[in-house]
Amino acid sequence: MKPKVREKKELSRRKFLKCTGTIVFAMGSSGYLLSGCGVKEEELGIAVSDGYLVVDVEKCQGCISCMLACSLVHEGTQSISLSRIQILQDSFGKFPDDLTIEQCRQCEAPACVEACPEDALTANAKFGNVRMVDKEKCTGCGSCFVACPFTPARLSVMEDSAFNNELKSLKCDLCANTPHHWDEKGGGPDGLQACVEVCPVGAIAFTGKLPAQEGNSGYKVNLRDKNWAKLGYRNS
Amino acid sequence: MNGYAGNILSINLSTRSITTIPTKKYEQWVGGHGMGSALFFDMVKDKTIDGFHPENVITLMSSPLCGTLVPSGAARTEVQGIGVQSLPIGWFTRSNFGGRFSSMLKYAGWDGIAIQGQADSRVWIDIRNDDVKIRECDDLNLWGTDTWECQKAIWKDVSGEGAYGDWIKINEKGDMTTQRPAVLAIGPAGENLSRMACLIHDAGNGAGQGGFGAVFGKKGLKAISVIGTGSIQVKDPKGLMTSRLWLKKKYSFSLKNLKINDFTFGFQSPPVPMTLYSGGKPRIGQRPQACVGCTAGCRGRYEDGIGNEAICFNSLFYLFGKTLLIQRQAADLLNRYGLNAAEMFVGELYLKKLRDLGFIGKEKAIDCPLDFNQYGELSFAEQLVKAISYRNDGKGNPHPFGDILAEGFVRAAEKWGRLQGEDSDLKTGLLKFPHWGLPMHKLERSQLDWGYGTILSDRDINEHCFDLLRAFPTYFKRSGQRLPPAEDIAQVITDKMEPFQGDKKMLDFSTENMYSEHIIKLVTWHRHYTRFWKQSAQLCDFRWPDFLNLYGPNKTGATGIAEQRFFNDVTGKGFTFLDGINLGKKIWNLDNAIWVLQGRHRDMVRFADYIYTNPGKTSSGYPQYMPGIKNGKWDYVVTSGRHFDQDRFEDFKTRFYRFQGWDEKTGCPTRKTLESLALEHVADELEKNEKIQIL
Repeated sequence: MKPKVREKKELSRRKFLKCTGTIVFAMGSSGYLLSGCGVKEEELGIAVSDGYLVVDVEKCQGCISCMLACSLVHEGTQSISLSRIQILQDSFGKFPDDLTIEQCRQCEAPACVEACPEDALTANAKFGNVRMVDKEKCTGCGSCFVACPFTPARLSVMEDSAFNNELKSLKCDLCANTPHHWDEKGGGPDGLQACVEVCPVGAIAFTGKLPAQEGNSGYKVNLRDKNWAKLGYRNS
Repeated sequence: MNGYAGNILSINLSTRSITTIPTKKYEQWVGGHGMGSALFFDMVKDKTIDGFHPENVITLMSSPLCGTLVPSGAARTEVQGIGVQSLPIGWFTRSNFGGRFSSMLKYAGWDGIAIQGQADSRVWIDIRNDDVKIRECDDLNLWGTDTWECQKAIWKDVSGEGAYGDWIKINEKGDMTTQRPAVLAIGPAGENLSRMACLIHDAGNGAGQGGFGAVFGKKGLKAISVIGTGSIQVKDPKGLMTSRLWLKKKYSFSLKNLKINDFTFGFQSPPVPMTLYSGGKPRIGQRPQACVGCTAGCRGRYEDGIGNEAICFNSLFYLFGKTLLIQRQAADLLNRYGLNAAEMFVGELYLKKLRDLGFIGKEKAIDCPLDFNQYGELSFAEQLVKAISYRNDGKGNPHPFGDILAEGFVRAAEKWGRLQGEDSDLKTGLLKFPHWGLPMHKLERSQLDWGYGTILSDRDINEHCFDLLRAFPTYFKRSGQRLPPAEDIAQVITDKMEPFQGDKKMLDFSTENMYSEHIIKLVTWHRHYTRFWKQSAQLCDFRWPDFLNLYGPNKTGATGIAEQRFFNDVTGKGFTFLDGINLGKKIWNLDNAIWVLQGRHRDMVRFADYIYTNPGKTSSGYPQYMPGIKNGKWDYVVTSGRHFDQDRFEDFKTRFYRFQGWDEKTGCPTRKTLESLALEHVADELEKNEKIQIL
């Protein structure tokens, strides 16, 4: 598979205008702003996810094993472009800004779900309302990619060999739909996530508690304990 | 071809041709070193050429494991070709670096690169998946930049200004990634053809040995950039994930159950994330930084951005830098200017001794512009690095000192007249370059696997497989800690050393045993294991082999079980551990045949004179201990303070060659041995060049 997406610029503008309108509406109706584009939950009627990934960017050693595990269990191949979690590094940078982990937030108000014109991206009740792509319905239009308000977008659109190399959206499903999952019970909020399990230093964790949606503090957390400090790294 | 991208990129800089070699053609060699040696053998018709000759081929090879989830085995790149650093000639040699270059190369669709020829202008290679271009350095003003500036300029060009941090398109097809390209670059030292010049990738991944930075410079090649968005097929995805988690659970460090020895300088198993400078661990905010797929990062990135990713000799280079900050800054200098840290480390100490003895300085016997009043300050290290990199006085003015020293410390000592007569610095041991004109690493008279392995090959082997047998006993003896019975340790390790398993005396490092058949087997096994499992399959030296393990059952490591398990998960080849050892034997024989074709004879295989006369002393003054039999009983015996006996070493060589199935008189592999390894064409080449007898 080769990753391809439609031009983001044009759709971004449409998305921006749409979100702007929503924000104005929300403020006027004294509703609270949700993450993503500020869409109110009751408007979307999307149940919150039963699970989330949180990460510690100061603990991460940049081995990208999480990315490789992600593509392995989902696609059966090794690829960093097909990974649903992305590690970005600057070898010459200053700690801790030399590295970041960008994972899907399973937003409380997911702009990607809202943007999908085919209802292919939904909160999947079978898997604890994880925001998941139904590839049978997905047309690879890229609306979800464009709608994601974060940089980089927490999903991508790639050619999928299982669908004659048609473009399909790729998105973190907490390993719910993983043909190559190693554990009999599989993944999802009630199972095991490949990135969490494989990380050598425990820089990625699963939580069932909805993280704070504003900013990054709910998703980028401190997972360092006293044993981490014993190795000579700060834990506070 | 599970684990492979499918093609090898072949670039001739003279003709500017870019062609493809199907990896399948060389698949029998698996990858890495084996594939590189085979490619070199086929592509370089005249093996006697100098490393600077345009026809010299440099190969950069990945392995089937690169870019996969194999723990501490997914990130190395093997570099081979005729080097320019060693003496009496530049041997066909190897170097190796980590990071993310080989994985990115495979994601781009290439299992390796072979570079031949010499460009008529200064160029760099831009690889974006299957789109490969030879581009002019002038377009980005790359020539003259240091290795970091060069990489940043290429990042900017490939990623697009301001685009990084988001998904970016790497080509007109719209292939996407969030990653920066992996760039391998030379600095000013390589541009100016210093024989100590190395290749640098990211901040601190260096291919130091061989002087390949100078070979790149001579070819007019400043850098290779690669970015890939593709996938590598794996035979058994579930199996690979299961194996990875098996190793994590059974044989890797656990933060919930941390077991670490106080001594972290040696290569303990399993390794824990670590960073180190001679002045200790920097006490500032930092992270451990790991290569692709590694379980324990072995270098750091720091909150001041100084000393990022420096490791080993690189971080120890400026031993007498007055502060830790200066040591870290000095490490950066080596990485930025692109100089071999091992030679700079040992060589800098040599200069200091010459200065202390009054031989070197302004208006001294050796006219030296270095300001020794600044020794310990950063300015001294900077002047030294610049003098070598620019072949001048280190301050921008012409001076023969830098020009001479850029040729390497042994060549410089020769030029300075310090290798003449009985007072030769290689007879007194003042110049600690004991083998092939290359700097000392481990105490070769103590760590026999290291010393013999180096002199019987082409370079400081830098393979830490048995280093724990010196590191821990030596430290534990000093600190009064209790050691496990030496015989038990020898038993556990030798049980894993197929096909010589169970011969405990392979690890008897006592003086009585240092020329024995058992040590011949140790050296042979080591050559075969590393040639395949480390340098062809490309398992990392920091992690493998896993002989002893603080978490393993009965503290036994995973070697002999794990290597082939991961290899087969990825490739499906059904290899046994011994299959790997046997392929290592074949590769070892091919390498030796190449050295013979270059002109090697057994008479050239000898240490510097001081190794046969001077007792090997440690820099700390404390003795070294290793397992050995003393008065009929296993113990940890003192292995420092002894020297090799020249006659007994010559006899050792004779028996070593015999054990390999080689000509005892010349050291050349025989036709019979080569044919037994399906290397008839190599025997034919040796015969054509009158290196072996025509039957």
